[in-house]
Amino acid sequence: MNDRSKSSAQPTLPAPIRAVAVIGLLYLFLGGVKLLESGIKGLGSDFTDTLFGNVSNPIVGLFVGSLATVLVQSSSVTTATIVGLVASGVVPVDSAVPMIMGANIGTTVTNTLVSLANLRNREDFKRAFAAATMHDFFNVMAVSVLLPVEIVTGVLARTAASIAGLVAGRSELGGSFNSPIKSAVGWLATRVRDSIEGLFSSTDALAVSLVVLGILLILATLTLITKNMRVLVADRIERTMNAALAKSGLTGMAVGVLVTVAVQSSSITTSILIPLVASGVLLVRNAYPITLGANMGTTITALLAALGAGAVDGLTIAFVHTLFNVAGILLIYSWPATRYLPVRMAEALAELATRHRTLALGYVFGIFVAIPAIGIIVL
Amino acid sequence: MVFSFFRGGDTAMDEVEDRIHQMLVDGRTVYDTAMEAVFGGGKSKKTKAAVKGADNEINVAQRDVRRSLLVHASVAPATDVAQILSYMSVIKDVERIGDYSKNLYDLARYGVNFETAEDRDELAKYRDRVGQLISDAAATFRARDTPGAEALVAKAGGFLDDYDRHVKAAYRSEDSPDVAVSRALYYRFLKRITAHVMNFLTALTLPLDKLDYYDEPNLDS
Repeated sequence: MNDRSKSSAQPTLPAPIRAVAVIGLLYLFLGGVKLLESGIKGLGSDFTDTLFGNVSNPIVGLFVGSLATVLVQSSSVTTATIVGLVASGVVPVDSAVPMIMGANIGTTVTNTLVSLANLRNREDFKRAFAAATMHDFFNVMAVSVLLPVEIVTGVLARTAASIAGLVAGRSELGGSFNSPIKSAVGWLATRVRDSIEGLFSSTDALAVSLVVLGILLILATLTLITKNMRVLVADRIERTMNAALAKSGLTGMAVGVLVTVAVQSSSITTSILIPLVASGVLLVRNAYPITLGANMGTTITALLAALGAGAVDGLTIAFVHTLFNVAGILLIYSWPATRYLPVRMAEALAELATRHRTLALGYVFGIFVAIPAIGIIVL
Repeated sequence: MVFSFFRGGDTAMDEVEDRIHQMLVDGRTVYDTAMEAVFGGGKSKKTKAAVKGADNEINVAQRDVRRSLLVHASVAPATDVAQILSYMSVIKDVERIGDYSKNLYDLARYGVNFETAEDRDELAKYRDRVGQLISDAAATFRARDTPGAEALVAKAGGFLDDYDRHVKAAYRSEDSPDVAVSRALYYRFLKRITAHVMNFLTALTLPLDKLDYYDEPNLDS
């Protein structure tokens, strides 16, 4: 408004250029998944069996998914990487399902860390910590029910395979499918591979380089996509959030899906909610469905990655991610008896953490770092 | 509601500023309605409802603006920090314009009628002056007119001594208590409204740390 405020930070790139940049970044992101897939294929079965042999244990897979997500602070990066691993054929769909579920748990660390910023104010912290940890409780509850069911029946993987088959236009499992996206991304991956091939004396070194390059590209492009999309749609997010403050239920869920798809990050959506809940402007119960919507919205990244990879198994694991989150909501949120169980548990934990603040720090370290790390080492 | 996501148009801060502008317009409505009552209209259920209704609109808008500013701070924490803090502060001044206008209406409830008073023209001169000041502040804010706001603050600052002079005169007058007290309160309320308009305008003219201190020399400049 005045001279002073005009000098406040403003987006430096014009919106159309930023939008074109996002499309370019999306292309590079898909290229990253393709490079990862290509690199993994080139590593050789002995090496990959050693590296990924342990994830056939579903609990280890769960911990790997969770810890990997905590380390990169993004479930989108983890799920896109898992899609690449599955598309390459190194990790079977069945083994990847617990990893996907683990990624869901790991992604909640970001907003839990954001909630710790309110430690100075007792009431604010109580609300913020409850809003953050209800996401943890929901995901842990969903995994506790759905992982054993999946191990016994394989229902998620089988349903996802059917949907993937329909989308890819194939009746049999496995194999690949053609799409304009896959062709365009394949062209990029081939050019990159050809241009660096001469730098390496062995195929193993080339494969490792492609894996590293693929992961770096996935990480960097997703970070930049999220950053740019956040600027591009910030006003729309604000309007939608403003309208959603006093609402709950399906509307809140739709808002969560929309905002997360727009910014390609559930952590951004759920972290936006924390200061609103902490200040009392948004009730924990009204933030709950938005959080669940964010859970669903974040699955779009794996689906995009799968379209770029062009393997039916990759598409299958991406659909598993979506189905798992939808099933979690149907199982827990649909029933009045269980609907607010995660909220009540989170509020109880927040009450306890407010009285013993070191408990909050212990909780974050224990749930997100210590337990998964020890689990991976021991199992 | 979800469809609001797909709606283009103004930025979120533009919408906040529109809302603040509307608060000032509503403030002028409360002020005019109160003055109509004080200048012959008298109290009535209809006038009371109009004053309370418009004032309530301002109060609701104040809370909405605060929420919107908090959402803006959550969604885009690195941008507009000074503007968020500034608006969070000055919307209180806009809300107070409505409150003091309500106090003016209370004079009519006590039976004050300036329409037949000997000093009616003097009283009306200040009524019109302050009413215009509120409208000018709204227009200046809408136009993002910093030099205009500076000029308005300087002009309004010149009114403040006049109000004090009238309050002192009422204190020393030998008129009946109802005449003296009504004048003292009237000019006091006008002074407060003027001061809140000036405070509000500092959002356009002064750095954040100097908000409200329009009467102190800006040493940095």
